[in-house]
Amino acid sequence: MEEDKTPVLEVRNVNVARSNALVIEDANFTIQWGDYVGIVGPNGGGKTTLLLAILGIIPRQRGDIRLFGEDIDSFSHWERVAYVPQGAIKFDPHFPITARELVALGRVNQGNIGRKLKREDWEAVDEALDFMGISDIANKRIGQLSGGQKQRVFVAKALVRKPEIIFLDEPVTGVDASTQEKFYKKLSNLNTEKDITILIVSHDLTAVFCRMSKVMCVNREVNISEITDDLEPNEVLRKAYGEHFHFVFHKHKCEVVFEND
Amino acid sequence: MTDSALFDILGLLGYQFFQYALLGGVIVALACAWVGLFLILRKEAMVGDGIAHTAFGGIALGLFLNINPLLTALLISTLAVLGISYMRRKGLAQSDSAIAVMLTLGFSTGLIIISIAGGFNVELFSYLFGSILTIDQGDLLIVSILGIFTILFLGVFYKELLSITFDEEDSRLMGIPVRPLSIAFNLLVAITIVLSIKVIGIILVVALLVLPGLSALQLNLSFKGTTLAAIGFGILSMISGISLSAIYNVATSGVIVFTSAGFFLFTAIYKRLG
Repeated sequence: MEEDKTPVLEVRNVNVARSNALVIEDANFTIQWGDYVGIVGPNGGGKTTLLLAILGIIPRQRGDIRLFGEDIDSFSHWERVAYVPQGAIKFDPHFPITARELVALGRVNQGNIGRKLKREDWEAVDEALDFMGISDIANKRIGQLSGGQKQRVFVAKALVRKPEIIFLDEPVTGVDASTQEKFYKKLSNLNTEKDITILIVSHDLTAVFCRMSKVMCVNREVNISEITDDLEPNEVLRKAYGEHFHFVFHKHKCEVVFEND
Repeated sequence: MTDSALFDILGLLGYQFFQYALLGGVIVALACAWVGLFLILRKEAMVGDGIAHTAFGGIALGLFLNINPLLTALLISTLAVLGISYMRRKGLAQSDSAIAVMLTLGFSTGLIIISIAGGFNVELFSYLFGSILTIDQGDLLIVSILGIFTILFLGVFYKELLSITFDEEDSRLMGIPVRPLSIAFNLLVAITIVLSIKVIGIILVVALLVLPGLSALQLNLSFKGTTLAAIGFGILSMISGISLSAIYNVATSGVIVFTSAGFFLFTAIYKRLG
């Protein structure tokens, strides 16, 4: 396939400023098909800003961003891209919408404006609910769901588009460790079974180093490394978190994680 | 309800003025409840109130120039909507302040016109507080056209409006024209308010917009269920309000607000108990 040769995402010499302060400086990286990238870095380091710039939601000062080989400024195939924003689940809990209705909103796009959703749309909705393991709560109001269930609903909403790349911004804050673990496992399945490229902002460094294929450290500068057995996590992480940062990481932790799968 | 009251309603149904009132009222109730639910969820209920008060200027203008005041009210309300969204977009004022500016400007326009004309008294009063039982064929035609337009618009762009109400940023990413739809929706609010003026008047119109949706929200239904319930509450309170006011000969708009508020109270109690 021609697509296999073109990187999914290319970022070249990108600067992004917010309120006149430079937040991302000279970012350069390439994301290949099937990558599962953990984006880490201190709070305020620019992780969300970087994502928003890639998605064209906020402007950049300079540089080139190409999605599927196409310049982001003229990119129009947003149905190939999904984004689960930070705090997606912190919406008005009284909003009258069921999980199924919310996931169906993922099928609304510029191609079907003013038209009813078709049967195939609803089939995709039910498939996404099923994949995320939330078919049983499909007709519950979103406000009645637990934090972990809400997250899965929002990921289902992103998936229902059948995207080729998905961006998630800290989707697992405020839920317990075992829910988080299940969530990362679902994402791994997405990555391997559905061949979806994933970029996820996460503070769970263990999950990043055990499950993902690349780690991107963001603290004004952006550094990306392939996660291999030889990679020393602290060497990479100190670029973002500072010299005194120490992350206790043992490969055997991952084995425990996978035993639970 | 007593036998004589029931008899009164059956009797009233034979009169054309009452048929017009019911027909006009139901169209208005449907449009208001549906638009109003979106307004509540967008947390813009006061946009409705602001635009309604601005329409006062338009009504005075129409009476002064001797053209149908509903048409001039539509013009002024449209300008108010565009003014509010312009001020918001350019960062000139926050939503509530922008509403305050347009509300007072519109109302002052009305005051100045009235003072120049030397007053319109009774007629103006009917626009302030509604007079659905005096609705004529011309008004009913305007109400029907605007009402059906509103209902069709909501029917066609239902899922897009829900999408931008729920998550504006994601909608933008999906290529949904968020800004044009938001402006179109606010114009729809202006239209809905204008078509409600004859029924309930500009002072109380916000009740028709907000109360049915609020009642429906108490029931914890799906979005579709909530929409249908809001429309149901709107129509029920309209029909019962018009009938009660005709039988007991009291101000229609006041009774409609009371029946709507009655449904709200009822659903709120149901929610506490349920």
